[in-house]
Amino acid sequence: MTTVATRLESPQALEEYRERLRALRKSDARRVRVCMGTGCTAKGAPRVLARFRQAAEDSGGGEVVETKCTGCHGFCERGPIVVVDPGNIFYQGVKEEDVADIWRETVLQGRPVERLLYKDDATGGLARTPEEIPFYRAQRRVVLALNGLVDPKSIDDYIAAGGYAGLAKALTTMKPDEIIEIVTRSGLRGRGGGGFPTGRKWRSCRDAHGEPKYVIANGDEGDPGAFMDRSLMEGTPHAVIEGMIIGGYAVGSSHGYIYVRNEYPMAVEHLSLAIRQARELGLLGEGILGTTHSFDIKINRGAGAFVCGESTALMASLEGRVGEPRAKYVHTVESGVWGKPSLLNNVETWANVPAIIVKGAEWFASMGTQGSKGTKIFSLVGKVKNSGLVEVPMGVTLRQMIFEIGGGIREGKRFKAVQTGGPSGGCIPEEFLDTPVDFDELTKLGSMMGSGGMIVMDEDTCMVGVAKYFLEFLRDESCGKCTPCREGIAQMLEVLTRISKGEGRDGDIAVLEELGALLKDAALCALGTSAPNPVLSTVKYFREEYEAHIREKRCPAKQCPGLFRYEIDPAACKACGVCRKKCPVQAISGERKKPHVIDQSKCTNCGTCFQVCAFSAVKKV
Amino acid sequence: MPTVTIDGRPYVARDGDTILAVARRLGVWIPTLCHHEALEPYAACRVCLVEIERRGWWQVVTSCNYPIRGDLNVRVNSERAVRARQGVMKLLLARSPESAELRELARRMGVESTPYPKVTESQRNCILCGLCVRVCSERIGAAAISLAGRGVERAVAAPFRMPSEDCIGCGACAEVCPVGTIVVREHADEVEISPFKSRARLRRCASCGRPVGSERVREVLASRGGPTLVEILSREPLCESCRRKRLAAELTRSARSGAGMA
Repeated sequence: MTTVATRLESPQALEEYRERLRALRKSDARRVRVCMGTGCTAKGAPRVLARFRQAAEDSGGGEVVETKCTGCHGFCERGPIVVVDPGNIFYQGVKEEDVADIWRETVLQGRPVERLLYKDDATGGLARTPEEIPFYRAQRRVVLALNGLVDPKSIDDYIAAGGYAGLAKALTTMKPDEIIEIVTRSGLRGRGGGGFPTGRKWRSCRDAHGEPKYVIANGDEGDPGAFMDRSLMEGTPHAVIEGMIIGGYAVGSSHGYIYVRNEYPMAVEHLSLAIRQARELGLLGEGILGTTHSFDIKINRGAGAFVCGESTALMASLEGRVGEPRAKYVHTVESGVWGKPSLLNNVETWANVPAIIVKGAEWFASMGTQGSKGTKIFSLVGKVKNSGLVEVPMGVTLRQMIFEIGGGIREGKRFKAVQTGGPSGGCIPEEFLDTPVDFDELTKLGSMMGSGGMIVMDEDTCMVGVAKYFLEFLRDESCGKCTPCREGIAQMLEVLTRISKGEGRDGDIAVLEELGALLKDAALCALGTSAPNPVLSTVKYFREEYEAHIREKRCPAKQCPGLFRYEIDPAACKACGVCRKKCPVQAISGERKKPHVIDQSKCTNCGTCFQVCAFSAVKKV
Repeated sequence: MPTVTIDGRPYVARDGDTILAVARRLGVWIPTLCHHEALEPYAACRVCLVEIERRGWWQVVTSCNYPIRGDLNVRVNSERAVRARQGVMKLLLARSPESAELRELARRMGVESTPYPKVTESQRNCILCGLCVRVCSERIGAAAISLAGRGVERAVAAPFRMPSEDCIGCGACAEVCPVGTIVVREHADEVEISPFKSRARLRRCASCGRPVGSERVREVLASRGGPTLVEILSREPLCESCRRKRLAAELTRSARSGAGMA
């Protein structure tokens, strides 16, 4: 992909290279950008891209058209996404058969294909560009700025867009201490979940004794439903790499590792390619840009244990040992991988660094809240209309996130709760929707920022079921080293399972609270200490739902099997007989033209009648 | 020299001491299960939890591996620390209710019974303290067993749950096991480490024929060099009573001839 295979021996050489690349790119060239993020790829983007490439070939090269794949655009709900320049015309839900229309109308003639534009349900208006779509309007894409623009497999694309300027600036005009000072003043905090001030971490690592020092990127994103780090590594791998080289210079390290889950094959591929390209240009390796700073990166693929996202477990895994955490009474910045000072940051934290160096601490600190600066990427999923990847300034309210960007709840249902912070985050109810999203505010509500998962739940979601689901996940992912996590989660799950089966007892809530408090105090690592959050937060905000399960043996959300009944509404029943025929236990009786009836003594609550009724006559009561 | 104050009693500690080491010197009892003087701290069982003061906040830490790096204020018997330790013990009792050793320690900690049902399976009361695994790798150097499986599936096992050829049959794992999970069984000409099914050739007392231990232990010890008379004697295939007799005889002989012991 590199047009000139040459080592860049100085910052000037990088700038000249950038200018050459830009000169090659005509500003009026027609460009088709096809999103190749995971969601769009799953929905058929590679076939769409192939059609565009075919069309470009068929047109005989008469038109200056560039077809390229990019990283995730974020609006996964509406993928595959195709954007055509000039005009930044945004198409959604593009299928193979739509390519001919886009080619003929937009690429060749500059006219939009209206049926593929985003239609605003509220106003009925059509949006031509992303800026006109509510999903994008409230966002501020800083870390993801290049995700929909550059080809992640091309270092030239990244450089032409301004990439590695932060590295050049840092290496040639700043001393390591100045860099740490800028990162500290920017207010950047760790994006992996802990929210630890990044500058302070870098300072501790720089001051730590021991050689060599290691710089590590944590790309072991394991939260169910989260894909922030994945999209970043897949879409803008060079931003992570650039941040790490700067970090290495700041703390005095020449050795970098990226720990990425093997379940992210595209991230592994794009990062590997990016590292190779950066080496070829002399941006990684000995004497970067002609300076004395040397730095190289190895990729370490994780085998899929959730706990390996925890810093000490990650480092154990990196050393080739079993991925189990250890106490952090001596911090990893002092004694990390192989007992050496190790600077571990999440990939999103690293990707923030180049822009902070280029634009300054004040620019970064101008975004966000008092205690949480900059932007944060979230994966907005669940019962929300526009699920996808969202980047907003810290301090945006949950309501804005869910109702403006997310477009509200699907199928006109009522909002019930939002779970932030991954499996060990808490569930936040409607009354706190106006809470600004930042590290400290979410913690105050008994949840956490985590790495940016955001799962929206509607009125049909049983909160006992939610707590049970996340605890099942955590029980399976607990490494089992320490007693409270291994035994405590299993005990809490036993109680929740009984409650959800209608076998709850008075005092069960107290047991959950007692075990929750124990885990918070006694567990070894953050997996264990935060594991009770889904239970404690739902007990706190939805206590009456627990009590309904325990005392009345009733599931208010009508989700827990056995804690509600199926009944046929005689007024709605058309006596079609489908439910009667499909019922596996012959519990439904009824003659032609007469409303059918479920025999509750035979019914096993399997829900088949509910699913097959075409007239919504089967009700959960 | 940092001053560690435990429940109001000051003590001058050495840098790098753990809270547990200081407490023991002070005669303050803190229960432990996964701790052993000869092994690296592991901090997995969590029955040694205490409270410490950090920047004005009290937090719960494991005393067995918390390093002293400056003056430190510790509470061993505060309500929160006791509650945390007892809570952990109740969870362990639910896991291994049959263990007499565990029940004894629980009683000493003020826990008479557990309110929790048994929800995790333990192999012969194993509480997964990991002492056996660590003594085998850190001290014996055999690393014949390890912790396999994750979370509630975790168990001590030899690789692939097959008899391990790395096992020298020394029985150190059984020796350190606090709940009697591991048993050394003697067969006609083999010693078996149960439940791992690993076997090693059994040595018998040359004098009375009673079992002495594993043949490979002698080989391993011999390969480590520097024996003394007492050690050489201990490597002879002698049971305890015969060894005593022989030692007494040797000592008498050497004392008579004026020869040294070493």
